Amino acid sequence: MKQPLELTGLISNLHTFFRSNLTPFWATVIEGALVLIAVLAAYAIIALALIYIERKITAFFQSRLGPNRLGKYGWIQSVADLIKILIKEIIHINKVDKVLFYAAPFFVIVSSVLTFGIIPFGQGLQAVDFNIGIVYILAVSSIGIIGVLLAGWSSNNKYSMIGAMRSGAQFISYELSAGFALMTVVVLSGTMQVSEIVESQRYAWNVFNGHIPAMIAFVIYLISGHAETNRGPFDLPEAEGELTAGYHTEYSGLQFGFFYLAEYLNMFIIAAIATTVFLGGWMPIQVQGWDGFNQVMWYIPSYVWFFAKTGVLIFFSLWVRWSFPRLRIDLLLNLEWKYLLPINLVNIIVMVVVVLLGWTLEDLFPIFRP
Amino acid sequence: MTTIIFYILALVIAVFSVLAVTSKKVIRSATFLLFVLLATAGLFLMLNYHYLFAVQVTVYAGGIMILFIMAIFLTHKPGDEFSTKMSWKVRSSVLLAVGGLLLTGYIIVKNVTRVYNYVQSGEMKMQEIGTAMMGTEKYQYLLPFEVISLLLLACIIGAILIARKETSAGETDSDSDK
Amino acid sequence: MNPFFKYFSGIFTALGSLIGGLRVTWRELWRKKVTMQYPENRDTLQISDRWRSELYMPHDENNEHACTACGICMINCPNGTITVTSNMVENEEGRKKRVLDKHIWDYGMCTFCNICVITCPSDAIFFNNDFEGAMFDRSKLVHTLNKPGSKLREKKKNLPPTPLKGEKGATISPPKKQETQQGIDDKKVS
Repeated sequence: MKQPLELTGLISNLHTFFRSNLTPFWATVIEGALVLIAVLAAYAIIALALIYIERKITAFFQSRLGPNRLGKYGWIQSVADLIKILIKEIIHINKVDKVLFYAAPFFVIVSSVLTFGIIPFGQGLQAVDFNIGIVYILAVSSIGIIGVLLAGWSSNNKYSMIGAMRSGAQFISYELSAGFALMTVVVLSGTMQVSEIVESQRYAWNVFNGHIPAMIAFVIYLISGHAETNRGPFDLPEAEGELTAGYHTEYSGLQFGFFYLAEYLNMFIIAAIATTVFLGGWMPIQVQGWDGFNQVMWYIPSYVWFFAKTGVLIFFSLWVRWSFPRLRIDLLLNLEWKYLLPINLVNIIVMVVVVLLGWTLEDLFPIFRP
Repeated sequence: MTTIIFYILALVIAVFSVLAVTSKKVIRSATFLLFVLLATAGLFLMLNYHYLFAVQVTVYAGGIMILFIMAIFLTHKPGDEFSTKMSWKVRSSVLLAVGGLLLTGYIIVKNVTRVYNYVQSGEMKMQEIGTAMMGTEKYQYLLPFEVISLLLLACIIGAILIARKETSAGETDSDSDK
Repeated sequence: MNPFFKYFSGIFTALGSLIGGLRVTWRELWRKKVTMQYPENRDTLQISDRWRSELYMPHDENNEHACTACGICMINCPNGTITVTSNMVENEEGRKKRVLDKHIWDYGMCTFCNICVITCPSDAIFFNNDFEGAMFDRSKLVHTLNKPGSKLREKKKNLPPTPLKGEKGATISPPKKQETQQGIDDKKVS
């Protein structure tokens, strides 16, 4: 398969260049630094793009036009917002717990960046690829909530505190569902390594390969992922009507920017992981035997495929966000503990049965087997 | 390179352990403890024990610390500083702690070669861990073993339930169970 | 109903209603956008006739207005926005008559309650639609409504107030007499 626009060649050329011209130590250091810069740059750029897209789509849902003054169709708007937030004053509040107050945003953003690192953006465009990929995602994404809790507590503000407690309860609850939904796919694909999961979906995406249980897992993952990011109908930790802004009420300037950035990136990360795990990641649509068709699909570079699939899910998340009213806290926990979690537990067993009895699409129709 | 990272992690663990104990505010102690746990996870990562790293972060940093923090939130005035008195109890416990440290240190030094051998084994695959949990060969069958420990826990809880006096009349559920 | 059945049917009814909600927002997504792009759409901008913006005094082609300087608007104004100054002038018949000197209205203090227009006995003042009243200086908000050199229109003419051109070119027709009359009636009742 010819892949003219892939970045794998460039990356391996860089690698051989550094290896041949530098000592192994410095080659490692420089490559590490480059990867770090690339990841952080991608993080910032995706966040800016997401903020713009979100504002635009939100506006369209409300029959408005959205930002349209700055640049063509207002595309520089989020850059301007970034500059504004960078030069804003960080207001120092007297009676906060200083250490925790200033440490809290870093927990949130570090957790978000760490999860960001494992996303495969395209062929060879993955910063870390652990053997335990899925567990790693669950592990590092659970650190973020500590930042939220600490932010709420250290702000010395009742609203922040209530927002943080709600957020904590919500996150712990929905993390379970998200984890189980991902585990269902691990059962299906037989590996936790993200790159192998993508590779195994060459001809049949997991959501089709595992048909009914996989689709249930997919829906549950989208719901619980949406709830984990504190958005949409699940945004009651920052319910502005009752809690002003929830846990980040007291934050200003760049510190607030960290929370803001992490929130948007978490939306992206949830969509990206759902893409990777359920929708075939960066794999182009391919049909066994149709070589001409496959070749055409491969001409579209893998990162375009990835961002297109992720974009669909992000759009869906925004669609849900602007459709449904906010849930009450007890209904929210009801949904998780009485519906999602039991269904999920049954679903994972169904998936085990499906895999063991050979009822997956790949087993039934060998044409889908990679 | 590895040595530098190890020293950084070791420094973090040492400093924050001391801070966690000496900090006057209980919520700060919890946070410092969290740093210690994360640095320990970093040590596991350095040793290529990826699974242990993830479990350490999920269970301790993600699970237990959140429960700690939420429990602290529910206590009375969590932010207040409290003072500790150095009573004879504290002094004797310090002595005991030092004694324990010496003992464990001795054991570790004695077995350091064996520890080193484990460390050298490289990255452990998820599949190996899974087989060790669920397989039926030698050195396997770990999960049923762990489940038995859960049974023991259930026995303990049951014993407490039976031994406990029913004081309030409102507990009709437990009455009907009998 | 069987609680077990209820549990599952609840899931499906919930899913159905959620999809219904999503469909509504999907339709909304493709609807025509209602945003008005203000500075660009100045030419086609439609401002409601009832919109009260600046108080003005219609002058006809002879530079004559209808204000008799009675001061009722000034008296009725709830927050002292209007100041009417007048001179006593002796006319040819030898009677002293009050003639308007300056009708001063402060844009910055006005609450646009319309009482001055309603109570004016000779329909000399109206609100126009010209909403672009922002100034860089507060003193520019104080308007003198009567034009220099203007004088009172003779009673006999009694022309109906002709449609007048607003400052920015939008045609403005003064509110109908009937409405104002009704307003006065309302006020009397209350």
